[in-house]
Amino acid sequence: MMAVVRRELKMMRRRPLYPLASAGTLAFCMVFFLTFFRNGMPHGLPVGVVDLDGSSLSRELRRQIDATDAVSVCEFGNYEQARKAMQCGRINAFCVIPENFARKMQSGRQPVLTIYTNAQYFVGGSLAYKDLITMANLASGAVQREILSAKGMNETSIAGMIQPIAIDTHQIGNPTADYGVYLANILIPGIMEMIVILITVYAIGSELKYGTSRQLLKTAGNSTVRALAGKMLPYTLLFTLMGLACDIVLYGIAGYPLAGNILNMMAGITLLVLSSEAVGIFLIGTLPVLRLCISISALYSVLAFSMAGFTFPVEAMPPYVRGLSAIFPLRHYYEMYVQEAVFGAGFTAWWPEAVHLLIFLFLPFTALKRLGKAFRKLNYPKN
Amino acid sequence: MIRYLRQWRRDWYYVFTNELRMIFCDSGVMVIFFLAGLAYPLIYGIVYGNGTVDDTPVAVVDLSHSTESRRFIRKMDATREISIAYTCTDMEEAARLMRERRINGIVLFPEDYGDAVTCGRQARISTYADMSSFLYYKNLLMAVNHVMLSEMHDIQIQRFSAMGISGQSAIQLVEAMPYEENIPYNRGFAYGFFFIPAALMLVIQQTMFYGSSMLAGTKREHDRNALLMPELKGRDISRTLLGRGAAYYLIYTGLSIYIAVLVPRIFGLPQYGRFGDILVFLLFYLAACVTFSLTFSSLITRRETVFVLFLFMSPVCLFLTGFSWPETAFPAFWRLFSYIFPSTFAAHAFINLSSAGCTLAMIAPQLKALAIQTVIYYTLAWTAAYLEHRDTTSPDFP
Repeated sequence: MMAVVRRELKMMRRRPLYPLASAGTLAFCMVFFLTFFRNGMPHGLPVGVVDLDGSSLSRELRRQIDATDAVSVCEFGNYEQARKAMQCGRINAFCVIPENFARKMQSGRQPVLTIYTNAQYFVGGSLAYKDLITMANLASGAVQREILSAKGMNETSIAGMIQPIAIDTHQIGNPTADYGVYLANILIPGIMEMIVILITVYAIGSELKYGTSRQLLKTAGNSTVRALAGKMLPYTLLFTLMGLACDIVLYGIAGYPLAGNILNMMAGITLLVLSSEAVGIFLIGTLPVLRLCISISALYSVLAFSMAGFTFPVEAMPPYVRGLSAIFPLRHYYEMYVQEAVFGAGFTAWWPEAVHLLIFLFLPFTALKRLGKAFRKLNYPKN
Repeated sequence: MIRYLRQWRRDWYYVFTNELRMIFCDSGVMVIFFLAGLAYPLIYGIVYGNGTVDDTPVAVVDLSHSTESRRFIRKMDATREISIAYTCTDMEEAARLMRERRINGIVLFPEDYGDAVTCGRQARISTYADMSSFLYYKNLLMAVNHVMLSEMHDIQIQRFSAMGISGQSAIQLVEAMPYEENIPYNRGFAYGFFFIPAALMLVIQQTMFYGSSMLAGTKREHDRNALLMPELKGRDISRTLLGRGAAYYLIYTGLSIYIAVLVPRIFGLPQYGRFGDILVFLLFYLAACVTFSLTFSSLITRRETVFVLFLFMSPVCLFLTGFSWPETAFPAFWRLFSYIFPSTFAAHAFINLSSAGCTLAMIAPQLKALAIQTVIYYTLAWTAAYLEHRDTTSPDFP
């Protein structure tokens, strides 16, 4: 087996593109996802205000909306212009301040504010919506405050009148509701899974494509198991190191919240690496034609992002595709991540996921015979 | 002149048919073009199909046991967003349920909730959201806020009437500035409506890029300058590029109509754009995609390389379309980076066109950007081919 390892290392030295590309890809993705969502929550989302009143009161309302952190106001002369800007996706929401707003407000005739939300864009739309609704409620509160304090009421009683119920929200696992924390925690391991599967398929498949598999078998003393083990050992080390680097960057350098233990996360990502390798071996073993297999692997690993269920929960998918999520290692990694990093529940809570990931390790054995035969006979189309 | 044109046409036709033959004879490329191109949109449609996450299970810990808290709980249960799955006696029990993933949120009413409401003080409610998916968080937040606003309204009216302000004047105070909400395009904030249009556009660009790069890699593996069609003996590069491009254009005109028109219809996604407008937009987008693929595939020397090197760009490009994280919040560098990809402009244009009913005139900025990309990438592809041609035909080439 050591002879195979030495052979593989020599091949890696001679053509270092793939090991370098895998590390480079991961590094690029980490830089991308960590800097892309840098602010955690977007600030200064453009929202429109159509001020049909033009009074000092309506200008004050506009100023107050603009003063909130989440949005910044652009003004529109009429409804038509604002609607067009929203249709084109230039603004996330807009509100129309009706004519005679100030006059009606002062005489208690309840002017109606109209709020339009652009629900074509997820984060921008929902944040702008929340912001405008809050502002509308605050504005009503301000009127009450004025009247109540004129009646000589004290501050605490006024608070009880204006806002009889207050809600304090606790965000478990992501206290600042940081969008980057939420996504990067799974996207980066997802990229990791993708790289591992592709490189595994390529490393083994290229032996078939370039007809070097017989020589590989000879080096391994005619044992498919030893040949594969020796071949994958250097990659396994490389991928595991990359996985550990992932965790160190996420929870050490970037300081992402982690309720549990970083060592447990490292154990988790190592399992993800191993199970992804197993999937790779299984794929190329079942379909020992590199050209076809690499396309199929690409389709599979892209789908893993959706099926992991971290953006759109699996339980909201139609019943007949829910079960499919189990065939992606990333799904189990995500479940493990939730227990460890979000709830800090420890290994006792996520051991079933560890078992699921370990089950993937049996996959290669089902394809072993087929792969060994392909290695020996080289009877599949190479190009 | 006529002889030149005739020769041009013959060469072009030769390259065009040759490329088509290669596409249809290559199982790997067929998998990418047709299996991925046809099946991915369907898979996404099915997976994100209903789009909304309804009735997220939530546990309630009611320490106040009051009529007020019970009314609040009943109203929460009635919302579309959440449903009360468990009523717990203490937080420990609720936290355990959350860890077991039976619930995705907890609402806690403290002991003095009922008293505070009746005595005119400010009452407090604590919510605990499972942040493992933002949709859980959004549901809990929206449902609780919604009920809180309606409860507040009732409580305020009561309190004002206790102060001697009642009837119409109380309502005038409580609703000093009422508001109307309008959520056009996507009433229920369905996730599928955000994701699918952007993903569909991405499928077009990425499958074309991967497929054409695989072919380019295959040709290079056989013969270093196969891309330049030695049969043409170095005659004008543009006929090779246009011939190859036309093959992809032809295949993708069909595929993209399926992806952009048929698939949304199958899954009942909003389609307010006119068919003609969508078609014109697709022709622009495909031109940009074809030249983009021709340019970047010239970097590929082996067929498998494209996946190992560039597959990770698919999720990156998806975020660069701005479908979830708003474009205005992109860091400046990544915004510039996003201009490399036709999908950035196309997703924007397609979303506006088909879910907001924009007209062609309204998406003109995106069409212009796609046209500029087409010109730039055509020039780049031409230059790459020219340089390669010069290198391989130079006298010092062995």
